[in-house]
Amino acid sequence: MIKVSNLYKSFNGKPVLEDISVTFKPGITNLIIGRSGSGKTVLLKSIVGLHDIEAGEIWYENTLFNKLNFVGKKLIRSEMGMLFQGSALFDSLTVEQNVLFPLEMFTDKTQEEKIERVNFCLNRVDIINANHLFPSELSGGMKKRVAIARAIALNPKYLFCDEPNSGLDPITAILIDALIKELTEEYSMTTIVNTHDMNSVMEIGEKILFISDGRKCWEGNKNDILNSDNETLNDFVFANSLAKKLRTSGK
Amino acid sequence: MIKFLSQLGLYFILLKKVFSKPEKPVLYYKQTMREFVYLGLNSIGIIVIISFFMGAVITLQTAYNTENPIYPKYLIGLGCRDSMILEFSSTVAALILAGKIGSNIASEIGTMRVTEQIDALEIMGVNSASYLILPKLIATLFFNPVLTLVGIVVGIFGGWIAGTLSGVITSENFIYGIQYAFIPYYIVYSLIKTVFFAFIITSVSAFQGYYVTGGSLDVGRASTKAVVYSSILILLFNVILTQVLLS
Repeated sequence: MIKVSNLYKSFNGKPVLEDISVTFKPGITNLIIGRSGSGKTVLLKSIVGLHDIEAGEIWYENTLFNKLNFVGKKLIRSEMGMLFQGSALFDSLTVEQNVLFPLEMFTDKTQEEKIERVNFCLNRVDIINANHLFPSELSGGMKKRVAIARAIALNPKYLFCDEPNSGLDPITAILIDALIKELTEEYSMTTIVNTHDMNSVMEIGEKILFISDGRKCWEGNKNDILNSDNETLNDFVFANSLAKKLRTSGK
Repeated sequence: MIKFLSQLGLYFILLKKVFSKPEKPVLYYKQTMREFVYLGLNSIGIIVIISFFMGAVITLQTAYNTENPIYPKYLIGLGCRDSMILEFSSTVAALILAGKIGSNIASEIGTMRVTEQIDALEIMGVNSASYLILPKLIATLFFNPVLTLVGIVVGIFGGWIAGTLSGVITSENFIYGIQYAFIPYYIVYSLIKTVFFAFIITSVSAFQGYYVTGGSLDVGRASTKAVVYSSILILLFNVILTQVLLS
C-alpha cells in the first residue's frame, strides 16, 4: 500500500501539486488521470522519489519514504518497477540484456537462473524470439512490453506506469492495459498508472484519482466516473463529440 | 556569478556521486572495458592521422624557418621532438579529443537523460552518476596517456618521413636531432598534463550531459557546451600546469 498525505510540490516557486492526499491499495490498478500538464507525471515521479517534495508525506506500507536517505530509498526502490512513457529501454543493450540488467545488478543468481527468469518475464509479456534484438528494432508496443518485462524482473511489490498507452494503437493499448491488470492481480502489486486515455479508465480503472491544475479533484472507480456530477471531471471524461452525444442521448 | 557558483556546486555534487561505492563492481568492470574500446581504442585512428601530419608540418616549418647555415640541421629533429612531446601530443591532442569524446559523452548521457533511461536506472536503485560516468573516467584516465605516447611516436615518425622525403634534412641528422639533449622528464610532464586533461574532458562533458533538460535540441547544446568548456579549461590548466611542472 502507498499512502500520500498533503503532498506539495513546486517548480521555481510555482505550485505544480497542492494538497494531494490519496491511498493506493495492492492488487488493484490505481489510475491517476487528468489533462496534459495537470501534474500527473510530477505526482508519479514524486511518489517514486525522482522529484523531491516540499511538503507532505509519502508512505510505503509503514515507511515514510520521502524522509529516507539514499540508502533507505534504495531498499524501497529494489521493490519498485516502472514503465516509462517512452519505455526508457537502454539503447545499447539487447532485449535480453535490458531485462537481465536489474537481475545482474541486484541478485546473486547463477547465469542460468537469470536467463531463465529473463525468458519467463519475456514470455509473460508475449515477447518471443526477440531476445537479441535492440530497442531500435522493436515496434512501440513491443518496447512497452519489454519495459514491463524489465519492470517485473525482480518481482516488485510496486509497479508504476507513466502513460503506458501513449503512441500505441487502440488494440495494442488494450492489450497493454490487460497485461498490467493481469500482472497486478497475479502478483498482488500496488500498481499506479498515469493516463489520460479514457479507454484505459473504462478497462482497468478499479481506483481512479482525477487531478486538475495540480489539485485532487475527484476520486472513485470506473463505475462511478460516468455518473459523477463533478463538472471538471465531466469536461474531461466527455471531451470528445461521440462521448458528448452518448451522454446527451442518455446511453 | 550566482549561476556560475551553483553550476560549480552541482559539478562537485555530481563528482561526489560518481566516486561513491559501486553497487556491483563486476558490472562496472564490464562497463569500463566497453569504454576502453569506445573512448580509447576508437580514438587511436584520429590521433595517429593528426599526429603524423602535425609532425610533418612542424618539421617542414622548422626547416624553412632555419635555413641560415649557422643553425645545425639536427635542430629540425630536435624541434619536432620537443614540440610533439611538450605541447602537441598532450594539449593539442586533448583539444581534439575534447571534440571527439567530449561531445560523444555529453550526447550519450544527455540522450539517456531526456529519454528517461537515467530515471529508469535511479528507479532500480542504481547510482546512475557512478554507473555511467565512473567507467568513462577510468577509461580516459588510463587510456589517454597511451594516446599521448602514440601521438609522440607517430608525430616524430611523420616529421622524419616529411623531412627526408622533401630533402630538407637527412635521415641521420633527424635521428641525431631527436636524440640530442633529450630530457626524459618532458615525457612525464606531458603524461601528467594528459591525465588532468582527460579528467577535465570526461567530467565536464558528463556534467553537461547529466543535467540536460528538454529534448534533442538541448542535448545538442549540451554537447557544444561540453566541447567549449572543456577546451577553455584545458587551455587554462595548460598554463597552470606548465608553470607548476616546468618552473
